[in-house]
Amino acid sequence: MKRRIAVAAAVAATLLASAGCGSGGGSNSGSSNPLDGKGKTLKVYLMVDAQSSWKEVVDAASAKFTQDTGAQVTVEYQQWANHLTKLDATLAGNDVPDVIELGNTEASKYVFNGAFADLTGKLSTFDNSGSWLTGLSAPCQSDGKTYCVPYYAGARVLIYRTDLFQQANIKPPTSYDELVAAATKLQQAHASDPKFSAFYMPGKYWYAAMAWVYGAGGQIAKQDGGKWVGTLEQPAAEQGLQKWADLAKQFSKGDPTKDENDQDAVYGQGESAMLYGNGWEVGAVQSQHKDPNDPNSAMVDTKVKDKVAAIPLPGFTAGQGMPTFLGGSILGVAAKSSKKDLAAEWVKDFTSTTSQDALLAKGVLPNATTLLDQAAAVKGSEATALAAKNSWFVPNAPKWADVEKGNVLQQMLVDIVTGKKSVDEAAKVADAAIASTLNG
Amino acid sequence: MDVLESPPEARPAVVTGGPRRRRRGSGRLTPYLLSLPTLVVLAGLLAFPLVRMTMLSFQRLTLRDLFTGAAPQWAGFANYTTVLSDGFFWTVVLRTIVVAAICVAVSVLAGLLIALLMHRVSGWVRLAMMVAMMLVWALPQLVATQVFTWLVDTDWGVLNWMLDKLPGVDFSNHSWFVDPVQGWGVIIALVVWGAVPFLAISLYAGLSQVPKELVEAATVDGAGAWQTLRRIKLPILSPLIVVVTTLSVIWDMGLFTQVYIARASKPELDYYSLAVYAYQEAFARSNYSGGSAIAILTVLLVLGVMAFYVRQMFRIGEAD
Repeated sequence: MKRRIAVAAAVAATLLASAGCGSGGGSNSGSSNPLDGKGKTLKVYLMVDAQSSWKEVVDAASAKFTQDTGAQVTVEYQQWANHLTKLDATLAGNDVPDVIELGNTEASKYVFNGAFADLTGKLSTFDNSGSWLTGLSAPCQSDGKTYCVPYYAGARVLIYRTDLFQQANIKPPTSYDELVAAATKLQQAHASDPKFSAFYMPGKYWYAAMAWVYGAGGQIAKQDGGKWVGTLEQPAAEQGLQKWADLAKQFSKGDPTKDENDQDAVYGQGESAMLYGNGWEVGAVQSQHKDPNDPNSAMVDTKVKDKVAAIPLPGFTAGQGMPTFLGGSILGVAAKSSKKDLAAEWVKDFTSTTSQDALLAKGVLPNATTLLDQAAAVKGSEATALAAKNSWFVPNAPKWADVEKGNVLQQMLVDIVTGKKSVDEAAKVADAAIASTLNG
Repeated sequence: MDVLESPPEARPAVVTGGPRRRRRGSGRLTPYLLSLPTLVVLAGLLAFPLVRMTMLSFQRLTLRDLFTGAAPQWAGFANYTTVLSDGFFWTVVLRTIVVAAICVAVSVLAGLLIALLMHRVSGWVRLAMMVAMMLVWALPQLVATQVFTWLVDTDWGVLNWMLDKLPGVDFSNHSWFVDPVQGWGVIIALVVWGAVPFLAISLYAGLSQVPKELVEAATVDGAGAWQTLRRIKLPILSPLIVVVTTLSVIWDMGLFTQVYIARASKPELDYYSLAVYAYQEAFARSNYSGGSAIAILTVLLVLGVMAFYVRQMFRIGEAD
């Protein structure tokens, strides 16, 4: 009873909060200058990456903001797991954060449903707003208006063990066939080790599997006469899924029901030769926190320290990389915020060219194409910046985030990799679920 | 109960001035006043959410309504017809009942056996058992689930490592959650492990209430251990068994935390219980109304299952 009631209470708490709101739309009336922030405090929700990797960039932007406006800033760092559930409940109430960071695939749900303030009028005040990466800015737009600001991007690359490649006398692959040949050779060379994965590929890693789908010329879903249609059962998409599944089954000995959350830790054990990961994961596999639960604990070297390198993942067409998912984050100003102008000002400071330059040094990609070449010059970011030039993005549907949270793609992939369903069966089930979620 | 049942008229009226009627009136109100704090808490924490959830299950609340504060539309029975006509819902209902039945049967039986064992062992062994079980009981479900998940982890789990040591057995990199039967086996083991301490300690307390004279008399009459258990201990224990079984049914029908955490908050469809289903519909797919309908149906289902036990309890109450 207790547990069921906890769920009920959570639903009810969400509702309770929603019943009490409606008068939250704020303005800065009372002070003549909307940017006079004396005595005010801005509440900012950023994701945990900012805390663990570039806290000083956040602090520098906040310091400038405080100097300009006189307002203070409180940054609350959020964990990715289930952060939307918490955010939904928060946004239903009145005491909302003024600035909110979201993953770019999560943004459209909030943009289309009126959670963010319209920033169209302030567009020109944001640095590089003319050359924002489309993968980040497209989900921010609805009806020709802009509701959020690109923050940073990430692209996935092939991470491989230089020492193992040397031992087996293999060169880094330049085509998909070479990749499979290299994996086959490595797997044979380590046949005596049952834990050895030539290519570690968790079964729920949909950012990877969908790269194979787009690489084969397929896509996840498309809009047809105002309705969304899942297109994973199209021949091209199924071909991509099949090749991904073949690779995962043949060369990955990890748990086929796992997602990619702990893949850096797994790879760091030194039992895998290749990994598909974000640019910054090249660093994450080599050096990890002594206590993974304590972000302040000392960093320790893993077994693969100084033995890894990254290149763009080769695609099915010769000379072309596998299209990478352009991940990243955006920043929005809550529609219910009472300090919208101040919030936009902070976003401006935090996404300025100065801030972006500081972020580049941390190995992430900038929010604008004009800064991509600069990123390619940063040591360690070469492969990522190159990969980002050929990218794909999730369907820009208002309810896309629900497909992600509903585990539709993960379920399909696990069914395929564990052999419970054929590619065709699993793709058809997923297409139906995608259509019902996006059109529902 | 006693306070409510004793008629106020039977009480001696205090006569120190003032109209008698007001005295009598306030005397009648006292029990209600005393129970008011409890009622307020219950209304706030239980009745209000339940009422809201029931209302929600007849509405269609969208994210936009949630973010902007707009009033949701009424939808009649639409949410219920959608849920009830979905084959998957019935799969989940059946799965929830089967899993709960196994959990309840195994945990109550294990609890009873351990209670009987505790009755027979020496004092310090009993103390050690008590302490060990208290520790299990004190462990939050969340932590216990994390521990179990690590034990059965594919890459680093100690269970795979141990099984792999057996000659001729290959369990390296075995994933326990690919096959839902194995996966549910792990989850059921976890639920039973967490439930046994409460059951064993309660039943042990019950056993210690069995009059020694009765057992002695039975032994003198030549009854064996089995007969003593069946004819004397179990009948005396039966009200308690009914109570703990009822509680177990309620807990295990609402199974949520163990499944949700063991599946890293991304449960596959094979691992949906009714509570997980309701949660996923409401919070993963933003289908708040559909999720509420499933939750309400779960409440009705549990009430149906419980009606039997509640009747038993009342019957026992009458017999006493």
